Amino acid sequence: MFSTWNWVACGFYLVLSICSPDASSGLVQSCGHIIPESPVLALGSNFTALCILNESCLDFGNIYASQIIWKIKNRVVPKEQYREINRTVSSVTFNDTSSLATPLTCNILADGQIEQNIYGITVTVGLAPEKPKNLSCIVHQESRFTYAMTCTWNPGRHTFLDTQFRLRYRWPEQIFPDCIPKDVNNSCTIDDCQFFVNTEIWVEASNALGKAVSDPLVIDPIDIVKPLPPQNVSVASGVLPTVLQLVWENWISDAVMTLKFNIRYRIVGDTNWTEVPPEDTASPRTSFSIQGLRPYTEYVFSIRCMKEDGVGYWSDWSEEKTGITSEEQPSKGPPIWRIIDTSQSPACWTVHLIWKALKPYEANGVILQYELTVRDKSSLSSPVKKYNVTSTNHTLQLREGTYEVTLIARNSVGPSPPSVLLIPASNSKAPVKNLRTLPKHDKLWVGWTAPNNYVLKYVIEWCLMSSNSDCIIEWQIVLGDVQGIDLKGIKPFKCYLITVYPLYADGQGSGQSVKAYLKQDRPSKGPTVQTKKVGKAEAVLTWNHLTVEEQNGFIRNYTILYKTIDGNETVVTVDPSKTEYTLSSLTSDTLYTVRMMASTDNGSRTGPDFTFTTQKFGKGEIEAIVVPVCLAFLLIVLLGVLFCFNKRDLIKKHIWPIVPDPSKSNIAQWSPQVPAKHNISSKDQMYPEGSFTDVSVVEIEADDKKSFSEQDLKPFDLLKKEKSTSEGHSSGIGGSSCMSSPRQSVSDSDEGETTQNTSSTVQYSTVVLNGYRDQTPVQVFSRSESTQPLLDSEERSEDHAGGADSTPQRQQYFRQNGGQDETNTDRPCFERTKQMTDANEGDLVGFVQLQISGQSSQPLGLGMEKNTQERAVSNVLQTFTEGQTVRPETVEENPLSVDEMPKSYLPQTVRQGGYMPQ
Amino acid sequence: MAAAESPSAALRRRDLCSRGIRLAGKMRADVVDLLDTYVEQQGLDASASVAAVEGVPLAAVEHWDEQTGTQRLLENLAAYRAFRALLAQMLEEQREQLGEADAGLGRALAAVLLQVSAFAYHLEELLRLESRGIPGEEGDEEEEDGPPPPPRLSLFEQKLRGLGVLRELAQWAVRSVRDLRQLAKPSPATGAAPGLAESP
Repeated sequence: MFSTWNWVACGFYLVLSICSPDASSGLVQSCGHIIPESPVLALGSNFTALCILNESCLDFGNIYASQIIWKIKNRVVPKEQYREINRTVSSVTFNDTSSLATPLTCNILADGQIEQNIYGITVTVGLAPEKPKNLSCIVHQESRFTYAMTCTWNPGRHTFLDTQFRLRYRWPEQIFPDCIPKDVNNSCTIDDCQFFVNTEIWVEASNALGKAVSDPLVIDPIDIVKPLPPQNVSVASGVLPTVLQLVWENWISDAVMTLKFNIRYRIVGDTNWTEVPPEDTASPRTSFSIQGLRPYTEYVFSIRCMKEDGVGYWSDWSEEKTGITSEEQPSKGPPIWRIIDTSQSPACWTVHLIWKALKPYEANGVILQYELTVRDKSSLSSPVKKYNVTSTNHTLQLREGTYEVTLIARNSVGPSPPSVLLIPASNSKAPVKNLRTLPKHDKLWVGWTAPNNYVLKYVIEWCLMSSNSDCIIEWQIVLGDVQGIDLKGIKPFKCYLITVYPLYADGQGSGQSVKAYLKQDRPSKGPTVQTKKVGKAEAVLTWNHLTVEEQNGFIRNYTILYKTIDGNETVVTVDPSKTEYTLSSLTSDTLYTVRMMASTDNGSRTGPDFTFTTQKFGKGEIEAIVVPVCLAFLLIVLLGVLFCFNKRDLIKKHIWPIVPDPSKSNIAQWSPQVPAKHNISSKDQMYPEGSFTDVSVVEIEADDKKSFSEQDLKPFDLLKKEKSTSEGHSSGIGGSSCMSSPRQSVSDSDEGETTQNTSSTVQYSTVVLNGYRDQTPVQVFSRSESTQPLLDSEERSEDHAGGADSTPQRQQYFRQNGGQDETNTDRPCFERTKQMTDANEGDLVGFVQLQISGQSSQPLGLGMEKNTQERAVSNVLQTFTEGQTVRPETVEENPLSVDEMPKSYLPQTVRQGGYMPQ
Repeated sequence: MAAAESPSAALRRRDLCSRGIRLAGKMRADVVDLLDTYVEQQGLDASASVAAVEGVPLAAVEHWDEQTGTQRLLENLAAYRAFRALLAQMLEEQREQLGEADAGLGRALAAVLLQVSAFAYHLEELLRLESRGIPGEEGDEEEEDGPPPPPRLSLFEQKLRGLGVLRELAQWAVRSVRDLRQLAKPSPATGAAPGLAESP
């Protein structure tokens, strides 16, 4: 029972002791405490803490040191680090304080299970301060009488602790208040700095773990002064145009220190400073005269100072002040040049005199005017002309000649030395040689080789070439001993035309020109190519040169690239001077794509694509095809016409068969012993190679013979022989013939007689003059006295009964007979026959069509049956179409046909679709 | 007296002289500036004549050029010790009168006081180089004897005395420069050592 109450009391006491942190001063005391209380420990050191239990607690709670548990921030410290010193004291040891954390607590396991906190301490870990190093001080002049000394140092490593730095200084017999830095730990400023006494300065750093002191710096502050720069600087003009006087105030008294100075100056707009030699300004002063300046030039000045002995620091540079020197006479005459325009007349010059304004350091003031003097050296009597000009150019109208131009620039102080330009009548002197250019960064160097003669000066002209504006000339004059200059302001990728003229004492050399680029680029566009002419296998391409603005460099070559849609690209390089090129060996009727590339030294640019299609036929090919075709066609047509003409009777028979008039048939006259039949056979034998099928033998009476000329009758010799052999066999059919009454048939002019004789019949005849195989052509005169009207007439006769023998009918008939020419209608029958014979000589062999009159219906070709006739016709046709050679078979068969068929001979010639002759 | 002066001692002496000369010069310049400020701030007439300040040796002496170096140093040291005390008193009076209202004047007085102290230190160092004992300060001796306190002056009298102190200090600054220059150059009167004689 007692034990239970004892434990309850003990627990209550513990709770009270824990809940009351201020138990020691209160009613309840803590059961223990830790030694040391809230230590500050050096990082990396070892540390031992003791937890001491109060004796009073032992009796209540039966708690002992062996029950103590150490914890760091709720983490139990391994028991290996514990040590029970006695029954009330337990210690814990840490070999390295870096493993420590806050808080470190001492706890106890009450009743074996309940962990109760006895005490806790805060542990601070850090480093002792390092010795401050690199202490240095500088005294800044803050005003005319006040100086502040600022000292800086290296505070060393971070200590992790609150570390105080203080700057201390003293005189041997006086210690001054410490300077404590604010917000920083590496510098401090002492306001009341005293000079001329050596002052010992040092820095002390201290924290909970220790204190460190820097090495002392013993120095007289006057030796580390950075004074204020001179004040109220002003610039005054000196007595000379090359002198300016600089005046200032020193803000540090000589009693404190004497000063030396640095003075620097520059021309306004320039960036480079010129410094007055330091030895000239090494002594105390408040003014200085700067010499050797340019007249009428604005300068900027600045000044700084430091202790005269050079110990200390230079002040900052003073504010900049400007001053301008006074004017002086121009130091040289303006460079002058001329441009002569002879476009109006070679003898009348328009001379543009141009000169450059003097540079400021040459003008030495404001140029008020230029005085121009022109002297005609070719005419001594000519007066000297003077002009006062305010601009930098002047134009004169002069006659061709030699002139001396003198130019003087004048400012308010005086004139410049004269510039003289000799304008000779001609630039006949030697030019420069080997003119060349070379780019140098942003400048273009122009060099040349001097002529053999002594050259006074060279004039270099250059201008930016443009396709749409005139070349604006810039120029420069250099002395005669110069053989190359750098042209400035040259733009890259632009073409410049540079010309160099040598000026001699007595004349001027001709100019040498060269084109140049400062920097080249590839062309800004490619050439636009197009075709001028496209053929079957070639195409003429044409293009325009790129403008000078587009070139961006020297065009080294053009490249033509062309290809078919699916073919490889072909490349052709073309000279840059050309604007036309002919592509050859192209494929006909093919689409080509062509483009063109212009190349400079720095690259190429391709123009737009252009497509064209080659032609299907070359030049003349169409003509070569069309013309022969046409000719052949014409020939065929002609031959067809001729064929039709020659076969007109056959055609006619086919188309308009001869319908015999049965009423006029006289079968009684038919006789089986028709001698003509045999005669015909004999005649056929006489002309075995003849091609006539229907032949009527015409007997020419001897009396009529004399009505023809001998020549006309000559071809009839054969007929005469024939007559002698066939006279007895003459059938007498058609009692009249062309030969028997030639007047009737041949001479149409005797119209009345003819009309009378043929009033009841239509007479027509066909005369075939035929020659075969070098034989004398046989002239066959066939005559028909058939009253059968022509088909046309027949048809008309049906409409107009009794009108069959009218003259128009006869004429029309003759027209059909006449064949080729209607004008031959009136010609004698012989003539027409001969014409035809001539035309068909050798080709048409005895091609006779015979019209048999109704009265002499016994046809001469009696022996020709239907088949024979058809065969003959076909043979003739065949002969005609096969090169107009007559095959002998036709004629050879004829006698056989005639001999074989006399008995079965039909009294009428019946043809297919034909009709019996009347 | 300085026959055995080492080169380092001679260098030290010359450095002290040089530094003392420049300090005296600055001190004079500052005192002159301070005089103007003081007259203006205290409402005094710059031309007011002030009687000699008690306890301060007069700067102007007869036969100045006949004095020895040590004598010069001793007179200077006595004068500047007196000035140090007077200026400290002026500074305290100034603070009592104006508080922190006119910190500029007080700061200038303090600066001059520092310079006076520094110059006195220079003089003591020179006397040590002269192998002479440094006399004790009168004030210390008087304290031992229990000197009567200085008579209480009226405010105006304090101002006039201050004016007199500054004027005399300015005079002494000029004299000190001359004294130190005299000391810096070799003089038979001072029996300068060869090392000192060699010094420029």
